[in-house]
Formats: sequence, structure tokens, C-alpha cells
Amino acid sequence: MGVTCVYSYPVPDGKSGQAVVEILQRQIELLGALRSGHFCVDCDTFQSILQTSINVQPKTVYILHNSEQPASCFAITDTSLCLTADTLFDGLMHQLKNYYQQRKNAKMEAKGQRYELGDFILKVGSASLAGSFKGIIVEVEYCPCMVAVDCWGLMKELLQSVVGSVADQPPPILKNRQDELYSPSITVSQYLDIFNNFRKLSATNQIGR
Amino acid sequence: MEGAGTSYSNAFRFVAPLQEHLLQGSILDAHCEVLLHRLRGLCDNADTTPETFSDYEAVYQLKNNLATPASQYILLRVRQALDHPEAPHHIRYLGQAEVGDKSRHTLVRACFDVACSSNVRDFLNELGFKLDHEYVARGYFFHKGRMKVMVSKIYRMQQPGKTDQNTLEPITQSHMVELSVVAPMGQDSIGEEMKNFAEQLKPLVVLEKFDHKRLP
Repeated sequence: MGVTCVYSYPVPDGKSGQAVVEILQRQIELLGALRSGHFCVDCDTFQSILQTSINVQPKTVYILHNSEQPASCFAITDTSLCLTADTLFDGLMHQLKNYYQQRKNAKMEAKGQRYELGDFILKVGSASLAGSFKGIIVEVEYCPCMVAVDCWGLMKELLQSVVGSVADQPPPILKNRQDELYSPSITVSQYLDIFNNFRKLSATNQIGR
Repeated sequence: MEGAGTSYSNAFRFVAPLQEHLLQGSILDAHCEVLLHRLRGLCDNADTTPETFSDYEAVYQLKNNLATPASQYILLRVRQALDHPEAPHHIRYLGQAEVGDKSRHTLVRACFDVACSSNVRDFLNELGFKLDHEYVARGYFFHKGRMKVMVSKIYRMQQPGKTDQNTLEPITQSHMVELSVVAPMGQDSIGEEMKNFAEQLKPLVVLEKFDHKRLP
């Protein structure tokens, strides 16, 4: 486990998401990375049904799972507070069904191929909202280091040979926490940030139509 | 990580529902030593000195305005070991207690134990939970097979949130004794097993199933 950067990779006009994923995968394989299974990050949204007064905004909790930490469950609030717990936490959320309800058709998932390249783990996959394609996700993890500021240079070099200028800057969430000891909760927070951007984009697209 | 995908993580997520079988009792402080001695003889960890614990438990409540009285609030218990600060914190949900008829020897209730990170209190506050009450429990822990015996003293905290020794005040002059088993649903033979064990602690302590709803 080490510092991880997650980026969404733009799909150029006229190309399909699948084709771009394949190009990225080929590029990673050319670097000499070896396939090592698949990865999956999923995100469910729960919303409070508690109405104390009409003016109060409903609260939202996001529940995420990452195949890299298969026995853990991450719960993130509106205010970006991330609780790390056992997967049994899902059962606990079910007990709260009179207070928090799962939003229908809001499940986001990122799925794809996982690679290993020396001390790095690379992942390329597609993100989907309720089954429909929303974008491409690229993740790079540098396992030997736990502090982002110490290894950003090294990671940037590798990232740029895969995704180019997309990785000019560290992901926004990581940028504010570069001196901290890295933890898997920062990885899922990055995923949630990207998922929420995809959600916003698809909402504005729908209004635009 | 081969095969890590939705189906893989789902397998972890849907664990069979667990139930806690519980018997409770209490013993005066003056006689606690005798009980501990007997427990050491009866339980599995007889050759070592009894394991001690010192836990801080805070109970959080979330209310709603649904009409049905049964679901007007939910309680979550957050526990933290004061003597092992590095250990994960712990959320516990306990369901409605089923006392059942006389043929059932123990109280049975749904039970969820989830280990979690130490920001759980802030997290629950964010979710709208309010602190209901808090206490410190200190005592000894024994096990015999899958049965767990806890002999603990409950302390009131004079200053909210402060768990220093000099701000703790014992609530009673006795220790609480709890015999419990957490097991998957439908294992009714546990009741018999627990009853037999409780018999062996008589007359020092009488372990019974208490209907918490009927307590004054």
C-alpha cells in the first residue's frame, strides 16, 4: 500500500470509451507492465429521509468499496469526512433504513484491468453510472512510499508517459494532503470526487438536451 | 487480487445475520474475588491471569419522526479500549430484545459488530446522531468455548468525555456479570449450554434474562 493518484481521462470526440481504454492499456503493456487481475471500485449513495424542517438540506452518505481493500468499507459524508470500517458496515447501513435510504439508479462503478510494474500498480478502466458508461479512470499507486510530497515527482514521470498532460498536477484531493501519511481513505475520496464530477456532467448534459 | 470484482467483494458483504444470546447478573464488590476465582477454574484461559479490559462506551441516538413507535429512534454504541489506544474503535448495533417464553433460557437480540476508524464519533455527529449517554466499563474477561464472560464495573463520568481515573465515579457497589454468545441465527442449543454454565456460578451470582423494557 502506498501513495495513489486517480485521474479521469478525457474521451476525445469521435472515439468510443472502449477504444481509448484499449489504447491506454496497450501503452501500459508497452512499458512492460504485467496484467494482474481486475479491479473494481463501487459507490452507493444514501440520503437522509429525516425532515426536521423544510429548510434543512437532506444529508448524503456515500458508501464505497475498493477491491484493493476487499475487507473494508468506506463511508464518506457531504463534508468529506471518511470513516473506514469492516464490510459489515453495509449491514449497519441497512439497519438505518428508516433514516437513510439508498438512492435508486445512483450506483457508480469503476472497473477494469490491474497491472503491476515494479513498485507501481497501474489500473485502467471505465466508470459507469447505473450501468451506462461515463468516463475513463486511470490510477497509479507507488507502493514503497507513504507521503505524497516525497514521491510525486517519480509518479508524475510514469503518469505522464501514460496519460500525458492530464497528470500535470496531483489530483485536487491529494494536493491538500501531500504532507500527510497516506491512507486508503484518500484513494476512495479521490474516486468519489471523480464520480461526483461524472454525475454533475451527466446531469448538465441531460438539462442541455 | 485475481478475480477481484463485484462478486468477490459481495461475498464479504453479506454475512449471515448474527444474534447475541445474553444472560446478566450482578455481584457485590466484596464477593467479586470469589467469583473470579471460580471463573478461572471453569473457563478456558485458566492458566493465565484473567484478561483485563478498560473500555469507554458512548451511546449515540438518531431520532426520526415516523409514526410507528418501534422505529422512533436507533441507538449505536461506540466502544474504544482505553488500555489499547491503537486498537480500532468499534460500533455495535443491538436489535430489539426477544425475551420469548419460558422454554427459552436466554435473551436473544440481533447484533452487529463493526470495527472502524477513530473518527467514528465525528462521523455519527455528521449523520445526525446525538450523544445519549456514556460510561466507562472496567473489569475482567473470560471465555469458555464460544461463551464469553465479562465481569465489569461501570463508572459514571463526572465530566463529559473525560476518562481520567480521578473523574470516574463508580455507579454501584457491585460488578456486573454478563454471559454472552454471538452466533448465526437459529442456533437454539446455545441457550441450553449457557444455562448449564450459569448453573455452575450459583449461588455466587444468579444469571438471568432481563427484559430491559420492563426495568423501572
